[in-house]
Amino acid sequence: MSINIIVCAKQVMDPETPSSAFSVDSDIKQVTPVQGIPPVVNGFCENAVEAALQIREAAGGGTVTVLSVGNEFVMDVMKKPLSMGADSMILIQDQLCENLDALGTVNVLSAAITRAGEFDLILCGQQASDWDNAHVPLGLSETLGIPCLTEAKNIEIGDDSVTVNSSRTDGYEVFEANLPALITVNNEIGEPRYPTLRGIMQASRKTPEILSLSDLGLSEDQMAPAMALSDLYIPVSEAQCEIIEGEDDADSGRLLALKLREAKII
Amino acid sequence: MSTRTSEDERKQIVSMVRDFVRREVEPIAQTYDNEDIYPHELIPKMRDLGLFGITIPVEYGGMELDFTTFAMIFEEISKGWMSLSGIIGTHHVLSHIVSTYGTEEQKQRILPRMASGELRGGLALTEPEAGSDAQNISTVAKKEGEEYLINGRKMFISNGENGNVFALMAKTDPQAAPAHKGISCFIFEKPVEGFSVGQHIDKLGYRGIDTCELIFDDCRVGSENLVGGEEGKGFHHVMAGLETGRINVAARAVGVAQAAFDAAIEYSQRRKTFGRNISDHQAIQIKLADMASKIHAARLMVFDAAEKKDSGERNDLETAMAKLFASEMCGEVAMEAMRIHGGVGYTKALPIERYYRDAPLMIIGEGTNEIMKLLIAKRLLQQHAV
Ligand SMILES: Cc1cc2nc3c(=O)[nH]c(=O)nc-3n(C[C@H](O)[C@H](O)[C@H](O)COP(=O)(O)OP(=O)(O)OC[C@H]3O[C@@H](n4cnc5c(N)ncnc54)[C@H](O)[C@@H]3O)c2cc1C
Repeated sequence: MSINIIVCAKQVMDPETPSSAFSVDSDIKQVTPVQGIPPVVNGFCENAVEAALQIREAAGGGTVTVLSVGNEFVMDVMKKPLSMGADSMILIQDQLCENLDALGTVNVLSAAITRAGEFDLILCGQQASDWDNAHVPLGLSETLGIPCLTEAKNIEIGDDSVTVNSSRTDGYEVFEANLPALITVNNEIGEPRYPTLRGIMQASRKTPEILSLSDLGLSEDQMAPAMALSDLYIPVSEAQCEIIEGEDDADSGRLLALKLREAKII
Repeated sequence: MSTRTSEDERKQIVSMVRDFVRREVEPIAQTYDNEDIYPHELIPKMRDLGLFGITIPVEYGGMELDFTTFAMIFEEISKGWMSLSGIIGTHHVLSHIVSTYGTEEQKQRILPRMASGELRGGLALTEPEAGSDAQNISTVAKKEGEEYLINGRKMFISNGENGNVFALMAKTDPQAAPAHKGISCFIFEKPVEGFSVGQHIDKLGYRGIDTCELIFDDCRVGSENLVGGEEGKGFHHVMAGLETGRINVAARAVGVAQAAFDAAIEYSQRRKTFGRNISDHQAIQIKLADMASKIHAARLMVFDAAEKKDSGERNDLETAMAKLFASEMCGEVAMEAMRIHGGVGYTKALPIERYYRDAPLMIIGEGTNEIMKLLIAKRLLQQHAV
């Protein structure tokens, strides 16, 4: 069996950037890039790459193509999925993609996917750690007119169908859909593999295909945001500490429980 | 001589090793070090990642990365746990000797298995009565037909228990003058009758990894294992191998020092005395500035030595200088990091005490710093002879 998978992966600011280095410019409503801390491939997108590689390995053949939209890619960062073992990569890099909203991203991705040709499966990270919106995969499946299965913790490919166990807070649900389908994953699908030294050296011989919006026949007004960001600020958190003292440990515990109930925490 | 690894590849490699160290090494380092536990479970992962074949040529199954990248890998590993780098340290000294001086048959027989990590190597040079004075070894290899009969004892051999192939230095001509002309290098693969591992040595630092005594008692080694098929070249082989060893040891020192500095600069901004963060006291700021400047200098020296090694130029002066400077610097920086941490730095609660215990290994191993100075001075006097 051979299966062709497209993985959508986003370059995001490193979520482990220390909070002391994180700042936003409220005037232009943008996060200020942090000098010296390179971006990363979004964590759940790496999980999606891992899932795709496992599916390809289980199928015994096929291709994994990684697709990303952005305005300024850092190549050694974005090549990680290739070093992990993906076959090829398409990067839509365009200045106009700087402030894309979910709808714009969906339009670009679906145009790129249509251009790329036949596929069996699209895998996406459930959400990106920058804005945590989780909009794009849903919009993408809608636009492409294919089923969308979310939060997969297990994916099994049948003849012309896919079965997915979707995590829910109280367990999981089992869904089946026809191929082609779109599936979102998070860290429950399994840790992404390390790119090995060999993988890195092999990936360095693979050149990502870099396309602009005009290569995809998309115009600037098609990218106009449908959603406006009206305010961007870092919430101020105030920490107050109150020491609860009782007559003995048991009494302190009782008083603490009372306080917590008053504060509607328990 | 190896081809240059690209910037792009280097960045990816460093990021991969950093990720591995953070996820798998840091969580176990303190416990394994304290209890002197060998990290067996990390070996398959290190094999998968390709860490046993860093500089081995591609045609023999390795990665053929340049020595700058090699140094970067050692630095990253040592930031997490210096001991772990020892597993691939002398391994690469041996692989360098075989790939530079071995016969084609030896390369094909040994290198692919070393690159995959099926064979894990070491260097068996030091003896109870011969460390700095390496020419004074008394292990003897006596030719008997198509075999050599080996008798002697090796001391302080890293990977002695868990490794299975060694560059073994022995005298094929004990009467030779000068003595180094009588020394030959053998590829010694375990198990062989007459060979045994002696005591496992308990150590101040560099714990978890095995440092052992190796005993050769009428042990037979086929003559196909004489490196390059030529007697009397062993001293030359091992000295070239030790250049790579000195690069890795210097890189380890940079890694340990960087870890100590990172901990110190963070702690200095959390710890308050006399109403302010200790980082607001100039006395602490001066320490931080000195530490970071020395680390930077050492790292540049390591990269410079590595680049010389890659270019195929003579590099014994630069590697010795890098090893000397980086290891002394590491000892100083680890001590300063401890001072900045105050009492808690002296406890087992933090890795600072481990950095402090690990630092002297780099001062003593791969040739002591006294020997480095002799070597440096000798070269300088040659260069500036009047
Ligand atoms: C943890 C550990 C791991 C090791 N791993 C290995 C290994 O894998 N393989 C291996 O072969 N060896 C290994 N060694 C051995 C190491 O290389 C030697 O310990 C080192 O070279 C010093 O030799 P020595 O201990 O015999 O000291 P000595 O040579 O006895 O030196 C004692 C002191 O005298 C000084 N000195 C000696 N000669 C001179 C001189 N001419 N002028 C000025 N000062 C001098 C030395 O610098 C030192 O300060 C290891 C050692 C340790 C501690």
